[in-house]
Amino acid sequence: MKLPRSIRVIERGWLSANNIVLEERSEAVVVDSGYVAHAPQTLALLERALAGKKLARLVNTHCHSDHMGGNAAIQKKFGCAISIPQGEAPAIDNWDEQQLILAVADQRAQAFSYDDTFRDGDVLQMGGLDWQVIAAPGHDTHAVMFHSPEARVLISGDALWENGFGVVFPQLFGRETALAETRATLEAVGRLDVDVVIPGHGPPFGDAGAALERAFHRLEGYEQDIARLARHCAKVMLSFSLLEKRSMPLAELPAYVARVPILAELNSRYLRMTHAAMAEWLVNELERAGAAGRREGLLLARGE
Amino acid sequence: MKRDEAPAGDVQSPCNNVCRMNPDSGLCEGCLRTLDEIAAWSGLDDDEKRAVLAQLPARRTAR
Repeated sequence: MKLPRSIRVIERGWLSANNIVLEERSEAVVVDSGYVAHAPQTLALLERALAGKKLARLVNTHCHSDHMGGNAAIQKKFGCAISIPQGEAPAIDNWDEQQLILAVADQRAQAFSYDDTFRDGDVLQMGGLDWQVIAAPGHDTHAVMFHSPEARVLISGDALWENGFGVVFPQLFGRETALAETRATLEAVGRLDVDVVIPGHGPPFGDAGAALERAFHRLEGYEQDIARLARHCAKVMLSFSLLEKRSMPLAELPAYVARVPILAELNSRYLRMTHAAMAEWLVNELERAGAAGRREGLLLARGE
Repeated sequence: MKRDEAPAGDVQSPCNNVCRMNPDSGLCEGCLRTLDEIAAWSGLDDDEKRAVLAQLPARRTAR
């Protein structure tokens, strides 16, 4: 597994998606900007990675907080253009916090303006390579992937990770075709010539076939039982909040799951627990997964 | 967007999602790496990654 020298991946964790820097002569393009709370470090990392080259453009695979939260800060510091998937434009134009899964999930991002959009079938030039824009609905109905047939590299966003893919939110909240779209997106990946996948989170990986196999297996579980997806979603949302807050008082968690709209809706639609029972279940699940621990009345992010 | 397990890979990234630089030490307050170490991480081979990881306990003690 080898990436072209013109491509650098700045890998962090789950709160900030990978920043992918694609360089060509004196200019560079960056794919995805990370979470807003990490923006100062993102700017410093990009400054190092660019090493004096001009950042011409910032491109988003989709517009969730961990991928576009740093857009405004990058735009302000580097004066670059911003390009987003065409389907995301209305939500960005109206700064639709529900569509963007921000306040409804207790997440934040800084509003930004974009310069242009792209859509399925377009070709973007990044790092001296031509990248096909491929629609990747599922996790986000308007998400895209970028594929370079020449370099045989796929920038998959949250449509495919080494172990899984991003929560298929739309299926849980009214879009009943979203799991089928997820399947079609994975099948589309299977038709591409790919030596290396650069996912939205985690390190680049080589064996796309094995990753697809794991993804299809996971998808089948959700297709068989939508409550499985709902439980996964609830755990992921609380994990994300905990990664930002670092600790949360255990006593306040029942009120938290009642107050945060996406958690409350998951509960009323699928989980059907008391708030206290949902909070207790979530804490146990996060502990079991090694994502959190509890001490002195607090739920603590791993490493605290 | 995210999931409840750690990313895969032979040598796992020490990132714990704090991602904030300490101006005095020049280290990330979460993983205790320098900016250069974080920026380069993805391009390091496993031995180089282990060499970075090996330095972190001493930095934690020195804090």
